Order: sequence, then structure tokens, then C-alpha cells
Amino acid sequence: MSWLSRFVNVLRRKNLERDLEDELQFHLDARIDELTSRGMPAEQAAEYARRRFGDTLRLRESSRDIKLIPRLDSILLDVVFGLRAWRRNKVVTAAAVVSLSLAIGACAAAFSLIDALILRSLPVDDPSTLVHLGVRAPGDARDGMSFNYPLFEQLRDASRAQVRLFGLSDQSRRDASFDDAAQPEKVYGQWISGDAFAILGVRPALGRLIMPSDDVTPGRHPVAVLSHDFWTRRFDRSPSVLGRWVTIREKSLQIIGVAEARFTGVEPGIMTDLWAPNMMWDARVIADASTRWFRIWGRMQPDVDTEQARSVLQTVFTGFQRAQARSRPPDEPPDSLARYLNTSIHVRPSASGYSWVRQEFARALWILAGVALLVLLVACANVASLLVARASSREREIALRISIGAGRGRLIQQMLIESALLSAAAGVIGAVVAVVIAPGIVSMLSTSRSVVRLDLHWDWRIALFLGTAGLLVTFLFGLAPALRASAVTPYDALKSGNLKEAPRVGLFRPLVAAQTAFAFVVLFVAGMCLASFQKLVRIDLGFDPENIAIVRVQAGEPGSDAAAPLALWEQLQRHLERTPGIESVSVSRWGLFEGPGRNKSVRVPGRAVDSYMPWYLDVSPGFLRTMRIRLVEGRDLEWRDGVPETPSAVLVNEGFARRYFPGESAVGKRFFRIDGDVLVPQDIVGIAGDAKYTDLREAAPPTVYELLRPFPMAVLQVRTPLDGAVAALLREELPRVHPALRSVEMTLQSTLVGNHLVRDRALALLSGFFSIVVMVLVAVGLYGVLTFGVLRRMREIGIRMALGARPLRVVALVLSEIGWVTAIGLAIGAAGGIATARLVTGLLHEVTPSDPWSLATPLICLVTACLLAALLPALRATRVDPVTALRCD
Amino acid sequence: MARQESFQGSLPLLVLKILLKRGPLHGYGITLRIEEISDDVLRVEEGSLYPALHRMEEAGWIKAKWLTTGNKRRARAYEITAEGRRRLEAEEKRWMAVHAAVMRALKHA
Repeated sequence: MSWLSRFVNVLRRKNLERDLEDELQFHLDARIDELTSRGMPAEQAAEYARRRFGDTLRLRESSRDIKLIPRLDSILLDVVFGLRAWRRNKVVTAAAVVSLSLAIGACAAAFSLIDALILRSLPVDDPSTLVHLGVRAPGDARDGMSFNYPLFEQLRDASRAQVRLFGLSDQSRRDASFDDAAQPEKVYGQWISGDAFAILGVRPALGRLIMPSDDVTPGRHPVAVLSHDFWTRRFDRSPSVLGRWVTIREKSLQIIGVAEARFTGVEPGIMTDLWAPNMMWDARVIADASTRWFRIWGRMQPDVDTEQARSVLQTVFTGFQRAQARSRPPDEPPDSLARYLNTSIHVRPSASGYSWVRQEFARALWILAGVALLVLLVACANVASLLVARASSREREIALRISIGAGRGRLIQQMLIESALLSAAAGVIGAVVAVVIAPGIVSMLSTSRSVVRLDLHWDWRIALFLGTAGLLVTFLFGLAPALRASAVTPYDALKSGNLKEAPRVGLFRPLVAAQTAFAFVVLFVAGMCLASFQKLVRIDLGFDPENIAIVRVQAGEPGSDAAAPLALWEQLQRHLERTPGIESVSVSRWGLFEGPGRNKSVRVPGRAVDSYMPWYLDVSPGFLRTMRIRLVEGRDLEWRDGVPETPSAVLVNEGFARRYFPGESAVGKRFFRIDGDVLVPQDIVGIAGDAKYTDLREAAPPTVYELLRPFPMAVLQVRTPLDGAVAALLREELPRVHPALRSVEMTLQSTLVGNHLVRDRALALLSGFFSIVVMVLVAVGLYGVLTFGVLRRMREIGIRMALGARPLRVVALVLSEIGWVTAIGLAIGAAGGIATARLVTGLLHEVTPSDPWSLATPLICLVTACLLAALLPALRATRVDPVTALRCD
Repeated sequence: MARQESFQGSLPLLVLKILLKRGPLHGYGITLRIEEISDDVLRVEEGSLYPALHRMEEAGWIKAKWLTTGNKRRARAYEITAEGRRRLEAEEKRWMAVHAAVMRALKHA
């Protein structure tokens, strides 16, 4: 009978007892029946039957034991024995548990992140029927997700029978002023259609949610709904939050409800704090067919497939694009127009949501998970060799057990139970490790402008993952030593009073090779990530981001559209330039690398207008000086260039000059900015050096620096050795220039640039950490194997030394045991690394796997680690005293 | 994962043989058959048959199922398995060999 039925017996002990009882009773009854039928009185028959049967209780006990005890008993014994064995080998145990739990923890953390960001379905009703819309022009690599509101309305109304569409704004952190606080705070707000909550199937935790009647007339529905998370963090779940007012994007909204706890938004990675109706977005944008701002989501109607919905939507979309094409520039080249008209619309399933956080980090997370898995494999190989070594030193114990009748299965069971104990301990500690490091990794993904938060709840999926990992690991590292131990024959092991002579390192070889190969891949990937990060950090931006504070300044009351006259900004700049502690100051529409950018079509006399749009930035005179962008030719902008009568003077960068005025000096040339139907003349007064604008990896784009126009809000670049401490200084100085000037927000230029390195930094840091772990593992593993090898060959070494072998020769002998195995492992690892590099390089900056350094670095690291690990055992071998070695047998 | 355990005595051998020849039987039926064929020579405590049966069941030589008898009593009937047949064959051979050896020894001693 299988152990399964025994196990079932354990679980159904009651049934077992009853069955035994019934079976024995049947025997007695049958005997009594027979006796009475032969004429014996009932009482006497019962007495006789019982005597003939024997002691029922004792028999029942022994039968029950047969069915129940042996396996359980042996398991319990093995557990006790295993625990004792592990306690005896504290160092081995600690090394094994630590390496395994680190690796399991890393894997579990990576899995929980992947689960939260990529795999898990949105916590809404029936997520499998959720979709989102994307558009793709011919040749585009990925979907565009932004739609204008009039198009959304047309799509929604035309496809009601196929899909229930709703619109959502993008999410970014915005200032929100609650009526109970003086200072604005940052919240993630999202503007949504009135029926979005109903379609998603989200229920309120308090009050009510936004309804279709809240989304009818632009500007007329001042309501907002909070997320459960924000309600908890900010209002401590107070019911009195209902009816409070919050001002966001210059509109006052009244809080009418709180969404249920499980719903944290439709974009994994960002937890939405507040929702408001679309109609509370700018009325102008809602009516404007050229501002693409909204995403479109929907839920498929029952029994409609996405293709049916797509064809309906495509018809509407194509019609809309045709109508729009009339307002495109008249001299637009036909291929650009055709691209526009041939844009297709797609219905994409989005059961697990859609988010830029996932777009940005999914691949990196998979890479990390892969690396963590490799670390786990290295740890398994490592523990397996520790166990093999231990099993070999237990050969006599095992031989003894075999000779007194232990079966092979029984021995394997015992070995596997010992491994299971180890992996269970490692699994528990690993879970703790994962719980600690997963949120740490998430926080690494946040920047000063976006806060990445994931709902990392630890549910059955993680438990399942840990359980499966534990089981796999047990078999991975437990089976080899178990099989090896059970193959021992008592005769072999007992005949000589000592370990056998034949070198038994054979079993280690595949383990050592596997370990080295996996480790090489980890180091290889980590090396590329680090190299890429280093290159990105050292990239030439074209400006100097150090010691520049970026200060957003508001001129006037919040909400007022009154632009500060240019003279006010000039006055501010001049005042601050004279302030001690400040080297130089400039004003611009927004900061470099802050996120926003503006592109405009241009017409250059003598050239056809093409679809490329150079970048624009409004700056004050002195911008180049403050940012330390070179002035290559001509002059800087001057305040008097802003006098309306003169044509607008601009600076262009070298990239612009190269593109539009190749082979000639661009200074003094005139071109036109296309503003709809108007051509705005622009006169180039100077050429600036190339500086990057919003993208770190791309080459600096052709850029035009225009003179600052009067805006109600602008950004100051303050070059100062004070860095962040300049904030206090500015708080004092701003009102001295004008009482209405307030600094709203401050950051550092270097932080803004650093925000673009988040993924690379996270990859570099984590893979760097993993490679250190892996090197330690490899070194410890090799050390163990070699020490064991030296012990095994003690006698041989003794003989050789007695015969006059030099210490160097002995060292070579020890090293040769693993030298070529390690070499094979390295070769396999290099091949594996190059094969997998393809998956990684897409994320990296100017790093190629075929670069000799990419291969040499992990090679040098690993060989060094191996040599260090081999040093002690090799030295030990040279100190073998021939006399002692020979006498011990 | 049944372990190879050899039972002391000839009881298992006898039980297997009976089950092979007579088909499924409950414990009481087996007892009756043993009484019948061995002329009470091998008579033991009847109850000790059951631990032996259960051990053989665990070893996979026989399998059991519950039947309801004519007078509505639950009876557990045992049947020989393929493994039991092989075992029986081996045990019979061994038994014969031992028997022959003992006989030879007795003759020539």
C-alpha cells in the first residue's frame, strides 16, 4: 500500500478504528453464529469464540499500528535525527540556511513585485472583460494611448452595443489644498467618466462614488472621491471627511465619498489618491479636438469579441481623422499625412491594468527575477555539495544502518527529510527577507516627481511560490547526496576502517561546474548593468547639473491667470544675482529634465516643411551662463529682445544649425515658427552648444531657446553652492522683490537628471548586490569541496610528499581537481551569458555583450574568488605531515 | 514503496495460497479454510490472523474491500494481488528448498 493511503489513514483515524472494530467483530459474530447453529448456548458460544480469538484489544492495537505508525514514526524519527545532525554541524547549517534564505527571499521578493505589477488582475468585477484602446500609426513600435475628448465621445456613443467605454485623464502628482490645511500637498489625482466606477464595479466604502449625473456639464460638478488608502493615511478614516473641500488644478471640489479598499486605481505602480469627474477638467480641453489627453478604457459587452468592437471603433476613428486632416499644415508631405490617416485603433485586453510603471520596469523586474533564480540555483548547487561532503563523512554511519537492515528508500527518505528541514528553515527566513526587501525595491523605483507604490499584499500566491520553491530546492540539492548515500554498500564502507582511497570528487564536478556557470551569468548581467549605469552617469549632458537649485515661482495669487509682466521676472533675476551666496540665476518656462517639453513645426526659407518638430524652451538671458551651456557663436539673448516691436530673437543649438543650415553659419538667419495659420518670424542671434532636454539617452535634440514670455509661473535656475539650503534664502528674498512672489516647489537639477536613472540605478544596485552574494556562495562552495578533497586524499598526499613531492606540486594536485571543472563552468557560463544578454541589452546604454570587458570582468572576479577559496585548502595540503597521514589508517 | 519484509512462520504463505485458490475471502473464511486443510495442526489464536492480514495488505500482497453479507453485516474481504502471486511463488520455492535441505540433512545426518 502506498504512503498516500497511510497518510489518509492518519487523517481518517476515526474511520480506521471503526473499520478494525467492525472487521474483528464480524469474525466473532460469525464464529458465534456457527457455534449456536451447532446447538451451543449463546452465552457459552460468545465466551468460547472470544477465547479462541485471543485478546481483541491487543490485536486491534497491533493492527492499527501496522496501518498507521511505521511511516509516521520513521518520519518523526528522521526529523529528530535530522535536527540533531544539523545542530552538530553548526557552520555548515548556518552557511546553507543563510545562502538559501537569501536566494529564496530574493526570488520571493522579485515574484511578489512581478505579481503586483504585472500578473495580478485588477481588483474589480470580472477583470477579464476589461479593455483599453490604443492607436498605432504604421511603423510605430508601441500603441499611443492618448485621445482627445471629442473623439472619445464619438467612439463611446458609436460602440455602446459592443463595449462600454469610459475616459480617464493621465495621473501625475498635483498640488491639492484641503480646507483643513494651510499648505498644499501632493496627491495623485485622476479625472474619470461618470460611469467609470459603475463599469469597473467599484463600490463605495463611505458616501457615494462619482455617477453619470456628475459628468454632464463642464465645470458644474465640483465633486471628488478619495481612495481608501489616502483616506486612511490623510484622514485616519474619519467619516467627517465627507463634505470637506479640496482645491486641485484651481478648482474647488467637495469630497462625496471614499472608494472601497481593494481598488487602488487602474494603473499598477501608482496608487490613485483622488478621483474627480472629467467635466471638472479644463472646459477648453474637453471641447478641443487637438489636445490628446484622455485614455479610453472599457468593458466588453457579453458575447462580443474584441475584433467586432475594433471594426466599429475603426470606422469612427478613421472618419474622425479624415475630418481632422483638413486642419493639418497645407504643405505637409503626403507620407506624413498618409501615416496620420492610416493610424489604426486597437482594443487591448487589460485585465491587469495598464501603466507606465509597468512599461518602464517590467523587463527590469523579469531580469532581476531571473538573476535571483540563478542565485537560488547557485545556492542549491552550493548546499548540495555541502551535503555530499557531509554524506561522505557519514559513510560509515550509513553503511552501519544498511547492514542492520535499513532499506534504500528509507535512507533516501531520511536524507530528503534533512534537506526539507533545511529548506523549510530557509523558506521561513526567506519569506521574512522578501517582506523586508520588496518594499525597499519599490521605493527605489520612486523619483522626486513620481511615487511608485505597489499593493504588495502577501497572499496565497506568494505562499504557493515559497512552497514550490522550497520543494524544488529540497529535491534539487537533496536528491544527489541522498542517492549517493543510499548507493553505499556496507561491505565497501566497513571493510577498511577508514574512508576509501578512490577520489570521490566525481560527484562534485557537475555541481561545481553548474555553480560556476550560473554565477558567471549573474556576474555577466550585473557587469553590463553596472557598466551601463556608469556610462549613463558620466554622459555629457551639455550642461552642468551640479549646484543648481530649480525653484518653481508663482507670481500672484494661485488660480489667477494674470501673467507677471516680463519686467517682474527681470527684476527678480537681477535682484537675486546680487544676493550673496548665489552665483547666477536664470528664469525659464520649465526646467531641463523636469518632464515637459514643447515641440513646434518650423519653416526654414528654401526648405520644404517636414514632419520633424524641433524643441522649444522659453528662457531668460543668462540661461546659458547659469546652466553652463557653451555659447558657440553670436550673442546671448537680452532682456530688450523682448520688446514687442523687434522681431523675436532666438538662440538655436548646434544640432538645430546642423539640421536646418548645414554648411553655413546660422547666426543672422531667419526662419518661422508655425503657430497654426500664423508664421512667427525668428531671428537667430546666437548658437548654443548641444544640451539634452528631457531625454538622457538620446542625442541632444535640435532646440530653439526663445526669450521668456510673461507667465504667471516660471522656474528659476539658481546656481549656488548652497544647493537645497538656498530655499530659506529665497523665502526671504522673493517678497523683497515683489510681495506676490512665492516659491512653490524646489528641487535640484541633479535630482531631475537622476530621476531618469531610476531603473538603471535599481538594476545596477540589485544586480551588484546579487553578484556579491553569488561570489561569496561560489567561494564558500569551492572552499568546502576542496577542503573535503584534501581530507580525502590525505594519505595520497602524504605518500607523495614522503616520496619528495614539492609543496607547489601538491598545490597543483589539489587545484587540478577543480581547475578544469571550473574552466568548463566558466565556458558554459560565458555561452549562457552571451545567449541571455540579448534580453538585457535593450534596457542598457551603449553596452554590448561582445565587448571584451563584459566577458573579462566576471571572469576575473570569479577566478579571483576561486583562487582565494582554494588558497586555504591548498596550504593545508602542503602542511600534511607524511607520517601522520600514513599512520592514520 | 512497500518494503520487503519476510514474515516469520508459514501463515502468510498459507493465506496467500488459500486466497489464490479460493478467490476473495473474509478473515473468518480464511480461518475456516486453515482449520479445514491443516487438521488443526497449525491452529493458532484466531485473532493473530488479522495483524498478519493487515501487514500483508500494507505490503501490497493482498487487497481488501468491504462487502455487505446476507444478514447486513459489514465484512472485509481479501483478495490476492499480482505482487502477492509473485511473492507466493518465491516463498513457495524458498520453502521447498529449505524443506528439501532439511530433509536431506535429516537423512544424511
